[in-house]
Amino acid sequence: MADHAVPAATPSGVARADASGPSGPKPRHVFSRRNIFLYGTLIVVAVYYLLPLYVMVVTSLKGMPEIRLGNIFSPPLEITFEPWVKAWSQACTGLNCDGLSRGFWNSVRITVPSVILSIAIASVNGYALANWRFKGADTFFVILIVGAFIPYQVMIYPIVIILREIGLYGSLSGLVIVHSIFGMPILTLLFRNYFTSMPEELFRAARVDGAGFWGIYLRIMLPMSLPIFVVAVILQVTGIWNDFLFGVVYTRPDTYPMTVQLNNIVNSVQGVKEYNVNMAATILTGLVPLVVYFISGKLFVRGIAAGAVKG
Amino acid sequence: MAANGTSVSIQDLSLNFGAVSVLQTLNLDVAEGEFIVLLGPSGCGKSTLLNCIAGLLDISEGRIFIKGKNVTWEEPKDRGIGMVFQSYALYPQMTVEKNLSFGLRVAGVPKDEITKRIARAAEILQIEPLLQRKPAALSGGQRQRVAIGRALVRDVDVFLFDEPLSNLDAKLRSELRVEIKLLHRKLQNTMIYVTHDQIEAMTLADRIAVMKGGVIQQLDAPQTIYNRPVNRFVAGFLGSPAMNFVEGQLEAGAPALFKSGSVSIPLDRYAFDGAGSKSGACVFGIRPEHIAFGEAANSMPFATDAAVEIVEPMGSDTLVWTKLGAHNFSFRVEAEKTLRNGDPVRIGFDPARASLFDSQSGNRM
Repeated sequence: MADHAVPAATPSGVARADASGPSGPKPRHVFSRRNIFLYGTLIVVAVYYLLPLYVMVVTSLKGMPEIRLGNIFSPPLEITFEPWVKAWSQACTGLNCDGLSRGFWNSVRITVPSVILSIAIASVNGYALANWRFKGADTFFVILIVGAFIPYQVMIYPIVIILREIGLYGSLSGLVIVHSIFGMPILTLLFRNYFTSMPEELFRAARVDGAGFWGIYLRIMLPMSLPIFVVAVILQVTGIWNDFLFGVVYTRPDTYPMTVQLNNIVNSVQGVKEYNVNMAATILTGLVPLVVYFISGKLFVRGIAAGAVKG
Repeated sequence: MAANGTSVSIQDLSLNFGAVSVLQTLNLDVAEGEFIVLLGPSGCGKSTLLNCIAGLLDISEGRIFIKGKNVTWEEPKDRGIGMVFQSYALYPQMTVEKNLSFGLRVAGVPKDEITKRIARAAEILQIEPLLQRKPAALSGGQRQRVAIGRALVRDVDVFLFDEPLSNLDAKLRSELRVEIKLLHRKLQNTMIYVTHDQIEAMTLADRIAVMKGGVIQQLDAPQTIYNRPVNRFVAGFLGSPAMNFVEGQLEAGAPALFKSGSVSIPLDRYAFDGAGSKSGACVFGIRPEHIAFGEAANSMPFATDAAVEIVEPMGSDTLVWTKLGAHNFSFRVEAEKTLRNGDPVRIGFDPARASLFDSQSGNRM
């Protein structure tokens, strides 16, 4: 042991030398090659994706004479909000001329119940599949997932018949049911994976404590799963709000959602094409998912990661 | 203790997952107030058995009685059990107080009764200052105390512990081990405790059930299991450093002899089980601490010369490796002894302290 004593002293000596050395934060090289490549790429990509949005915003703020000059990238010489007002409340679609506003409220009346209904059902589904391994659970899950891979178009006509038979064809509640069903596979998968990633002992402890199916779901699982609910809300709001196909197939003109209304405004072929109005209408329609995303973006990323680590 | 009556009784319990048999016609009677430890390597079915007792797993065959009541198909909450989990399993969104009271609130116990029981549990476990904290703000030891408290407030007959100390560091583990033992003495409840740690098993248990492959190998008091293991698996699993095993031949006669190469050990002092000695291949096992060396070896019924091969200082004592016949053989000496590789040593032991196992079946002879 004695001969080991001398080399053993050296590390502490080195440590002392370090302590008296340079201090303060580590120097950073702002214009390092790595940073130039990294931020250069990011800026180019960001500009590439933002350019169309820029053109839309700029065009929507111009009057028609200015648009006819053809300089789509130049900023407006005279800012006017006339196209926005027109898009919201005056643009004509065939018979009626009340703009997007009607479609907006229809979309709200479709999206809100669809989102709530589909998430409520899917979360219970996922919870039951993850924690209560009932007989045939795996088969049930496989069938549900297969549903996610069947193209929507295949099912359009059968669903028309089903809705007609139960008397809901053309009504908003019919569309709500359709949206809830089509959201089910992916949402159930999402919730199942999230609940599976939760420690199983927690579930067992709750059972020993005497909580039942709903007790565990409502008092233990729900409070722990805010992130995944945010993910589900974003997915559903975006998906249902942006839906065009189901909206146009399963509703009547007076219950058309905003996207269908937008299409009718943009594609109406009477008179001149009002590019500024079209641009304003498009931005208005896209605003809702955008707002939802910005508000909950942070939670969204966290929720995706939480589900992904232990899938 | 058996006079107090049976607390938990498991009869012919079997559990199959598909074609895999996890537990095989298992029988276990736990006396009132007894501390039973289920001990075994990973995958031996000990936690599975505990989950069956708790009612968290449906069994394939057999019956489970708790306090004389058939609870085989009862819900966990109706079995009169409290359970403590390895990962603590505290509800993260609730304060400690809410964690403790959750089961009582679910059961609809009146508010003042809840307050009373929480106060009592918090006092016993010394977690009063922590009641308003969330689990995330607690240390590992504190969390495990709260987990124990959750079982405590429910006023149950049987406590089930599923490797409760495995996630703690060594120091805390030994502290909490003592606390669990004190808790058992204070409460006098029946406790069933699953662990793979033999020190926990030896220190805590009234009786240990050593399990392997879904079967209880031996169920007995810790000292009996340690000194008279029923088979080679139990002998090798308990004890650290592990028991020495020497393979050889048993020659019946008076006295019976164990022969391995040039080594011949007389077995006149060895107490054979029932059938007595029978010639054939067998394994001779003796624990490192039962071996004397140097002067002391000469007074032993069996002594031989060997050479030191490796010395392992372990702090409190030193483990010395040598050879007996062709087999590695270790023995313990005081830490102060200075032995070097190659030193000749004289070792000896009393065959009465040894264990003989049949080579074929592995059972004690």
